[in-house]
Amino acid sequence: MTLEYDRSIIGTVFDHVTAAPVTAEAILEYIAATGEVQPPADAADLVAPPSFVVTVRRRHLLPPLLGKVSFGFDAGKDIHFGVPIRPGDVLTSVTTVHDIYEKTGRTGIMAFVVVRTVITNQRDEQVAVVDQQMMCR
Amino acid sequence: MILDLHTHSEASEDSRAPVETYLKWLARKHDVLPLDGIVLTEHRQWEPAKDYRRLEDEYGILILRGAEVETDYGHMLVYGVNEDITRRFDFTDVRLPAQVLITEVARLGGIALPCHPGRPTIGLCEHYERKPPLDGVVAVEALNGGSRRGENEKVERLIQRYGYNAFGGSDSHLVSFIGVCATAFDRQIRSVEDLVAALYQGGYHPVDFRNDVKVST
Repeated sequence: MTLEYDRSIIGTVFDHVTAAPVTAEAILEYIAATGEVQPPADAADLVAPPSFVVTVRRRHLLPPLLGKVSFGFDAGKDIHFGVPIRPGDVLTSVTTVHDIYEKTGRTGIMAFVVVRTVITNQRDEQVAVVDQQMMCR
Repeated sequence: MILDLHTHSEASEDSRAPVETYLKWLARKHDVLPLDGIVLTEHRQWEPAKDYRRLEDEYGILILRGAEVETDYGHMLVYGVNEDITRRFDFTDVRLPAQVLITEVARLGGIALPCHPGRPTIGLCEHYERKPPLDGVVAVEALNGGSRRGENEKVERLIQRYGYNAFGGSDSHLVSFIGVCATAFDRQIRSVEDLVAALYQGGYHPVDFRNDVKVST
C-alpha cells in the first residue's frame, strides 16, 4: 500500500525546538561514544565534532500533517555544516517538509519524505542544515 | 567501442558519485576497464542544461545522457531524450505506462529499454508472468552490475524466448562500480543519436569486467 499525501504540505514548518544550552559534558560524552579525536586538555578550546548536530532532537519524527503512515524508516541524512558548536551554545531547530517523492524498488512503491532541519545558535548563526530522508508507506 | 549504458551520479538521490570522480577512476583502471564512454541515466529526471564537454575533453571519455524511468512493467532506460519526450512524459511519475512509453519514445526519436529485467517487482520478467508481453522491445539489459545471484540468469531465458538484443550496464551508484558491466558495439558512437541508431540496428553485446576488477557487493 502506498502513502497518500498532499503535496501542499511541502514547505510547511512542523517542528520548532530551542534546546537547553550545550554542555561540555555532553560534547565529551559524544566524543567518547563516537571515538572522535582526543579532546583538548583546556576546556575553553572544546569544540563539538561536526556530527554532534545529530543529537539535536525534534518533537515530531514525521510531519503530523502527513496523515497515517503504516511503515517508515530513516533512509539517510545529508548534512551541510556551518559554524562550530561550543559549550554554552543554545541551539534552535526549525524543521520543514522539504520534498516528497516516490520511487519503485524491489519491494514496491515507496514514498520518501525529506524533512529539512535548519539549526542555528543563539547568535542566529547557521550551525547545520540536515536533510533527512524518511521512507514511508 | 565499449560504453557503460547504465550509470548514476550524485544527481540521483541514491548516489554520491561525482561524474569527474568516475572519469578519474576509469582513467586509473583503463587496463582492466577499457571503456570509451559512459551514459548517465539518472533516476526519474532529465536536466536539459547539463553539459559535460569540458570533462569529456579533459579525460577523453565520451559522456552521454539518458534517464532511468519507472513504469508498470518495471524500470526502463530512455536514450535520446529530447524536449518532445519530456513534454510527453513526466519522468517523476513512477507509474508510467510501459507500452505507451516504448511506442511514443520510438516515435519521438529515442528508445526505451527495460533494465535489470530479472529483478523482483521492478524487472520485466516478473511482470511478464502476469501481463502480456510488450510490443516494440528492441533489447534488454542482460547484464546489470547490481543484480543479485540469479537475476541475470533469468534474463537469459527471457532473451531466448523473445529474441531481444542484449546489452550491459554497471548500474553504478559508487565510483568503484563504474564500468564493471558494459556494452561492446561494433561501430563508433560519438553522439546520443549514434547510440539510439546503434541500439535499434544491433551489432552489440554485453561485456562483464567483474573478473578483472575486484568488486565488493
